[in-house]
Amino acid sequence: MTYYLLRRLNLLIFTLLVLCLASFYLAFLFPGDELTNLSGVRFSTESERLQSFEYYQFDQGAFLQFIRYLELLWQGEWGISFASNEPLLQEISTFLPASIELSAYALILSLLIGIPLGFIAGLNHNKLTDYTIFSVSLLGYSVPVFWLALLFIIVFALQLGWFPISGRLSLLYDIPHQTGFIILDILRSDLADKGEAIKDAMLHMLLPTLSISIVTSTIILRITRRSVIEVMSQEYIKAAYTRGLNHSQVIFRHGIRNAILPIMPQLALQFTTLLTNAMIVETIFSWPGIGNWLIQAIYQGDYPAIRAGMLAVAGLVVIFTVSIDIMHKLIDPKRLNRQRVKI
Amino acid sequence: MTRLVLDTLVKYFALVAVWFLAGCLEHSNANLRKSGIVYCSEGSPSTFNPQLDTSGTTVDASSHQLYDRLLEFDPQTSKIVPGLASSWKVSRDGLIYTFQLRKQVSFHTTPYHEPSRFFNANDVMFSINRWRDKNHPFHNISDAEYPYFFSLGLDSLIKDVVRINGYRVEIHLSKPDSSFLANLATDFAIILSEEYAENLLAQNTPQRLDEEPIGTGPFKFVKYQKDRHIRYARHEGYWQEKDVVQQLVYDITPSSSLRLAKLMTGECDVISLPAHSELDIIRERNNLVLDEKPGLNVGYWAFNTSKAPFDNPEVRRALAMAIDKTTILEAVYFGSAIKATGLIPPSSWAYQADLRDASYNPLMARELLEKNNIGSDFEMDIWAMPVERTYNPNALMMAELIQGYLEQVGITVNIVSFEWSNFRRRLQGGAHDSVLIGWSADNGDPDNFYRPLLSCAAIESGTNRAKWCNPLYDEVINEALTYDDVETRAALYQTANAIVADQMPLVPIAHAYRYQAFRNDVTNLDINPFGGIRFGGVKKLQ
Amino acid sequence: MLKSSLYQEEQYPSPMSQTWQEFKKSHVAFVGLCALIFFIVVILVGPFVTPYSPVEQNTDALLIPPAWAPNGGISYMLGTDALGRDVLTRVIYGSRVTFGISIFLVLMAMLVGVFIGAFAGMNRGVRSSFLNHLLDSTMAIPTLLIAIIIVAILGPGLVNSMWAITLALIPQFIHYTRDFVRAEMEKEYVIAARLDGASSMHIFIHSILPNMIEMLVVQGTLALSIAILDISALGFLSLGVQAPVAELGAMLSEGLDVAYIAPWSIAAPGAAIFLVIVSVNIVGDGLRSALRNRLRH
Repeated sequence: MTYYLLRRLNLLIFTLLVLCLASFYLAFLFPGDELTNLSGVRFSTESERLQSFEYYQFDQGAFLQFIRYLELLWQGEWGISFASNEPLLQEISTFLPASIELSAYALILSLLIGIPLGFIAGLNHNKLTDYTIFSVSLLGYSVPVFWLALLFIIVFALQLGWFPISGRLSLLYDIPHQTGFIILDILRSDLADKGEAIKDAMLHMLLPTLSISIVTSTIILRITRRSVIEVMSQEYIKAAYTRGLNHSQVIFRHGIRNAILPIMPQLALQFTTLLTNAMIVETIFSWPGIGNWLIQAIYQGDYPAIRAGMLAVAGLVVIFTVSIDIMHKLIDPKRLNRQRVKI
Repeated sequence: MTRLVLDTLVKYFALVAVWFLAGCLEHSNANLRKSGIVYCSEGSPSTFNPQLDTSGTTVDASSHQLYDRLLEFDPQTSKIVPGLASSWKVSRDGLIYTFQLRKQVSFHTTPYHEPSRFFNANDVMFSINRWRDKNHPFHNISDAEYPYFFSLGLDSLIKDVVRINGYRVEIHLSKPDSSFLANLATDFAIILSEEYAENLLAQNTPQRLDEEPIGTGPFKFVKYQKDRHIRYARHEGYWQEKDVVQQLVYDITPSSSLRLAKLMTGECDVISLPAHSELDIIRERNNLVLDEKPGLNVGYWAFNTSKAPFDNPEVRRALAMAIDKTTILEAVYFGSAIKATGLIPPSSWAYQADLRDASYNPLMARELLEKNNIGSDFEMDIWAMPVERTYNPNALMMAELIQGYLEQVGITVNIVSFEWSNFRRRLQGGAHDSVLIGWSADNGDPDNFYRPLLSCAAIESGTNRAKWCNPLYDEVINEALTYDDVETRAALYQTANAIVADQMPLVPIAHAYRYQAFRNDVTNLDINPFGGIRFGGVKKLQ
Repeated sequence: MLKSSLYQEEQYPSPMSQTWQEFKKSHVAFVGLCALIFFIVVILVGPFVTPYSPVEQNTDALLIPPAWAPNGGISYMLGTDALGRDVLTRVIYGSRVTFGISIFLVLMAMLVGVFIGAFAGMNRGVRSSFLNHLLDSTMAIPTLLIAIIIVAILGPGLVNSMWAITLALIPQFIHYTRDFVRAEMEKEYVIAARLDGASSMHIFIHSILPNMIEMLVVQGTLALSIAILDISALGFLSLGVQAPVAELGAMLSEGLDVAYIAPWSIAAPGAAIFLVIVSVNIVGDGLRSALRNRLRH
């Protein structure tokens, strides 16, 4: 077990190091001056550049340069953005929580929709209910998320006028940035009417959350359904029936637990899919998240921001997947390897 | 038993859905909505001081929200009315202007500046001397260029600014100029705080004067995030008796369709620059208002009168007769413009309603052309500007239409267009036969049309695209500036109109409308014909 | 039929035709396959039947609604966009680009993935290396995210986005091939071949590859739907195909500006992406359950 944990941590650290190395190397790959790409400072004088040259230890060998880069990353000096001239770590810590928040709510929503429907379909395997749910899920699974979001905007925001279409909160609320999670920030602010603000935030959140969670719910539905079908054909289920348990007893005592446990990590891993879709949907809903920010950086050729954004997003995803793995191992030590998603 | 599970689930989902919908459909943040206005603007301002930049975006974000001027234009009547100067007097020779200043006018109190005194003559001196005096400590701050004042030569017109006492200022001119007062009422002639500037100079951060502004206007500056939004709050001690909303937020939204969408959903109360193609959608919606007003602009077709055969007034008149303006107005402006007969649009007091227009008459045009030996082998160029402007939203299309008309009178037209900065440079060189371009005025004075468009001096400074110089015309418009009363000036401008109509150096085509779109609970928002939007006095109905 | 009743005992349908029989049993899957074939035919012959050019602008016909709308005309079936280009023509050309490129990318990724996967599966030394774990980690990351990051590095553009998606698709082919090859290597027929002295190369091509085809087809359809989504998503974000090339995702983002006055300009390309992906997914699902059913018998 300890061996396993060590190996996983080892892998985690190794992957993160590779990512850091990649992001360091990017500064050299991008057009322009590598020091400018690292620091985000456009040097106007030679002495400024020289100062930075020494600061990044560019007079040393490549390995020491990289070590220095790691050191600076660790200290939070990720450079500054070309576009805004703000420190990148600070920019990322404003934008990343918005994306995480969106994906987290969408994950909860997808689990709430996907798991029950998956159970219903799985328990009624090869019946009309299963057939219907499965076919509908195929449609949901195939819809391009950006198109869905646009359709939602046209129907629910422009035709019916129920929901706003941009940002996280009406601009008339001036909520100071603390955690980056809007609901928490509202609760911690000194606003008079927090309930109103939270309601407004919810309204802003609903359409983007819904459009990204539809795709994921269908994936979760399919994973759950497949797992339920497999579990229900197991010997111990038959044994339970022969012991005289009725249908609902079998499902609740044996079915749910055995069907859900093994697929837990797969479900949690949908978070990364959600994060990706959130990055796209953000651009449609003007959501101030990391996707919107990164894509703007790509358009503007903001190389320090691309470098840092790539590191942050990839790092987050890697840390997340490895910790899910470890957690799963802790809960269910007998399972040797993560199973592939079957849908 | 599955049925039981299913039942529970269905009930659970129904509950969640009902809860969500109930929460969503209930519009209860009414109080907050009433207390603030969100304006979806088209871009980020480059500074918060309109002295430094003439772009509409900068003016919209600063001029009328943060500052006041000595004089103001009344948006309804276009007359000059008192602003921070409660009254003024002009000496008999028209060289000395004396302004009596308003008392107890407070500057904004913000976290970064707390004023210790009211507005007085020092602020007026500071605000004018900053751009006028090249040795002023603030003259070169923020790489300032003061484009408006310099292009009109106001720096040489003003000889001196003299403080008589704390609330009386004299401005000495080098020559009489009856458009001077109008220039003081433009969006650019704002009054800054001298005290704040002194403080900043003491702190060695003078550039903050233009970044963290202090003024006397209805709103004070709170926060600006580039490309995101600008926040303003009500200036509590505002000197004018006006309803000012608690909060004003500029939501910077470059895409015009997104601005419209946000207006529909109520995320914006007011939007800037609705696109022509979207006007009908705004008109169709009951909860949206589309305000339109003839703008102070003119779109025209200018002939290069320094080139044969365009130096011949009869040829120019014949060409003017060959085109049908009414059709052009329909096709290019979607009918959202009025036909121009002269340079001056109807919203100006100098507008001459009975000015006759060269009527569409291709037969007579052909006759005139033949009389002047213009045969059917004649070819000419029409330069069409490559950008979209209020006064001409689609110059290329207009050029194609004119091409069609001239073909009917036997003239072959080549349409020429370059990239915009290149276009202007070549135009300045005078390589064109004729050009489709236009002019938007910055103040209500008619001189702002007559002088830059057709005076001899404007050939040199590059705004006279016809390269037309007529001493009689110059004499008339110079004389007009020496009179103060509107009647006499208007009569003189009618003479000028007659000269232009006879000589036809350019064919005025259209005065385009200006648009403003907002939700129907916003009131008192008038289109300011001379530029920047004004939110002071705008409020929301409940 | 006659033959089979006479010589019943000799009628051993090949595994592949068994799968085909199973596949045909599902009507939905069969309809999906027909739709897919239809799309392939459209992208092949489309350019010869469309009346307009996808980049030709007609300023007299801006934003004309589709034929069934009150002001629509029969000359533009799906209406025109903001530049007066025929939407139907652009959708056909766009499908060609989106769908065509996706197929190409999947084939490329498959080729590279199978090659590396086979190598990894047959050489035990590579087995427990870090590489495997790295592969596992990358598999957990959505391909689109990898593609966005790669485009961020390479810069926007069609070729760069093609590279990005291919690179992002390769890991799963490596993974499945490696697992499959490793499992097959344990089987008797391979051991027998090995005892006969066949080389690794020979074993792979003659013994393992034929058995792998089905798996590859299933994975290929899965990858195809991902590739279509990804390439149109990159196009939508203006990171992939650049204007004026007709590509479904890029068309969607162009239509965004007029979405509220001309909904058809985003409805048509979006629906095209959706339908193509649905049919690919139906076929993929059908194949998978056919395979599952066959193995159960």
